[in-house]
Amino acid sequence: MTVHVDFEPVGRRGQCPTGSTLLNCARELGVDLVNLCGGGGTCGRCVVQIMEGEVSTPTSSEGKFLSSEQLAAGYRLACQTVPLGNCKVRVPPESLTTPQRTQVEGEELPVAVEPPVQTYLVTLDPPSLDDLRADAGRLLEALAQQYGVMVSILDLAVLRELPLRLRGEGWQVRVAVRDEEVVALLPSAVRPLGLAVDLGTTKIAAYLVDLETGRTLAVKGVMNPQIAYGEDVIARLAFAGESPAQAARLQELVVETLNQTAIEMCAEARVAPAHIVEAVVVGNTAMHHLFVGLPVDQLAKAPYVPAVASALDVKARDLGLHFAPGATVHLLPNIAGYVGADHVAMLLATGVTQAEGLVLAIDIGTNTEVCLVNHGTLTSLSCASGPAFEGAHIKHGMRAANGAIERLRLVDDRVEYQTIGGAPPVGLCGSGILDTLAQLYQAGIVDSRGRMGEHPRVRDVQGVREFVLVAEDEWGDGRPAITFTQKDVRELQLAKGAMRTGINVLLEVNGVTSDEINQVIIAGAFGTYIDVASAVAIGMLPRLPLDRFRQVGNAAGMGAKLALISKTKRREAQAIASRVRYIELATAPQFATTFAQAMYLG
Amino acid sequence: MSKELVNAIADMREEDALRIVREMVESDSDPMTILDAAREAMAVVGQRYEEGTYFLPELMLAGEMLGQITEIVKPALAKAPEVTRYGKVVIGTVQGDIHDIGKNIVTFMLDVNGFAVLDLGVDVPPQKFVEAIRDFQPQVVGLSGFLTLAFDTMKETVDAIKEAGLRDGVKIMIGGGQVNEEIKAYTGADAYGRDAMAGVSLAKQWVGAK
Repeated sequence: MTVHVDFEPVGRRGQCPTGSTLLNCARELGVDLVNLCGGGGTCGRCVVQIMEGEVSTPTSSEGKFLSSEQLAAGYRLACQTVPLGNCKVRVPPESLTTPQRTQVEGEELPVAVEPPVQTYLVTLDPPSLDDLRADAGRLLEALAQQYGVMVSILDLAVLRELPLRLRGEGWQVRVAVRDEEVVALLPSAVRPLGLAVDLGTTKIAAYLVDLETGRTLAVKGVMNPQIAYGEDVIARLAFAGESPAQAARLQELVVETLNQTAIEMCAEARVAPAHIVEAVVVGNTAMHHLFVGLPVDQLAKAPYVPAVASALDVKARDLGLHFAPGATVHLLPNIAGYVGADHVAMLLATGVTQAEGLVLAIDIGTNTEVCLVNHGTLTSLSCASGPAFEGAHIKHGMRAANGAIERLRLVDDRVEYQTIGGAPPVGLCGSGILDTLAQLYQAGIVDSRGRMGEHPRVRDVQGVREFVLVAEDEWGDGRPAITFTQKDVRELQLAKGAMRTGINVLLEVNGVTSDEINQVIIAGAFGTYIDVASAVAIGMLPRLPLDRFRQVGNAAGMGAKLALISKTKRREAQAIASRVRYIELATAPQFATTFAQAMYLG
Repeated sequence: MSKELVNAIADMREEDALRIVREMVESDSDPMTILDAAREAMAVVGQRYEEGTYFLPELMLAGEMLGQITEIVKPALAKAPEVTRYGKVVIGTVQGDIHDIGKNIVTFMLDVNGFAVLDLGVDVPPQKFVEAIRDFQPQVVGLSGFLTLAFDTMKETVDAIKEAGLRDGVKIMIGGGQVNEEIKAYTGADAYGRDAMAGVSLAKQWVGAK
């Protein structure tokens, strides 16, 4: 049984199974509705308006996010609403995901190119009645004779194409060798390619690399398509845990996206995905497990144990990736359930593990990983900073897209701001949210306990205080006001408190104080765009001279690239992972008191 | 003295509060006077939290202070008669979850509001709840969990209590993360609370306290 659902104004319509929620219908029909909670009815973002047709009655979750006037006007949460027959649904623009600004750039470290896959141009004698050696033996003997390379194994997929390729290429091929195995046969004029991928919870950054020179040929940032099934790691693990089919769906989504991204990057660089002989993928432990197809149940529940922590080599084809037939995907080691290969890659790329003195390295995201390098010893932990800085749970929060306020200052009683793309303001993205809180705190409008006081721009809306950043009538085009509420301050206190608790616990267990820190390295997309002074002002980061902070961009992606082109760096990653001492933050001594104090501003 | 103590705790002046408590103990004040003052202060903290003046840090720090004050008073308290309690509550963070900040706040709010609370800690298996209910005979059971995945374990815990034949003897409340009416129904609990004060109101209502 199906019902016909029509999404307007996007113009997507089609048959959907009876009993599916509008959110699922939207997914089915390729309409990208914002949903941060994965359809749990807790984020209130997937608002749609029912124009025609009967639907299920509102749930109590909807009552929390929608007023009775809105409900009367047909506004509903798509994840809570089931069509009872054919219906027509309007999707307001704010409920659609917008093209995102994805961060792919990062500082590159110079490194000697020493890829795990070497290629050799081999010329063979064609067989004759006097020389009846098999194709495979002929190839391996030629490799040994011409290059002194002793290889014993041919990947089965390579073996299957060997006879045709040798004859097709006139007995001259470029043989790609990894350890003691032939993993690909390339046309003689082709250079071997590598792909480095930072598989983030929200974003995927991919780098197409010439494996011989180490040069990056193309770079691309895309959204992680798994987002349709939950914004954070926990929501996604929960979805995967419900059935093997759902876990497989998440795996396929990422693989499809990587295949597509590889095709697009190769087209841009005028090369072919079939010439990718090696890939390195880094991600947090959850992304890692979902990508490889490992069970995640044990990861989601205390004591949060990964299925595997050491580095992995997997055949790309086994994951569904369409690269060279025998290509390998290398996954850097994980450290613990909530500190994964992306953290290792970040440490590798920033070079902090060799740093002198006391260095703090922070990768800010929904989960923030922090490492303290104390004269060569490494201690890491993960703190659940939450998606507040991605705009979630903030009344007028949004992701970094056009119209998002990314910088904000209070000048006297005026609000001055800058939006992404210079577009009229729509909401606040992470850096704008951070600036707003810092400005309100520094102006004394919000006190150190996070309480919003009196001010001409502060008003009460149904018992909730809010500071008006952009007033209703300001643009004269019916644009709604943009405000910053007391509740927003509380959300940020939790996020900022979690992050600062992580830092303080690391300092505490190392017996050092924050003013001894020589350098703070801030990695990650959000970290790239923030005004460090604002982060210091609210006490998210320790109060240190601003020249001790370094914003390095996507260090995890850079680390993946290093591990792609350098065997030495790959070994170093393994060494780093085993050197890191992991701390489970929630069980740290004095955690509650530290967290309580870290929630104060300033 | 005790008015000063109430103000010191309520205003989050930890050092002052502890100093006053020590002085009162040294001058042989009735330990119950000290604890009554602490409870009065906690009520003020709770009220300020509800008004929005205070937030989680104050609740957590107040809880810490109360713990320290109890430690100081304990030796003197051994001689004093036990306070009457409204009722008994077993509480814990369910298996698979180790978050305890919210649970600790609820525990201490229940305590200052006159309940005897048995806190089973974190990552508590269903069977341990069952045993605690048998031994401690509470009227109320509180299941806490922060992760959405904890909802499944809450359900398993409620089922285990049911299977043990203990379900009718207790009222079960859940809290911690994004709980709502649907999750309450899913887990089979009797009620949910969005914050610590909601937990206290539920428990009071169930044991018939005003």
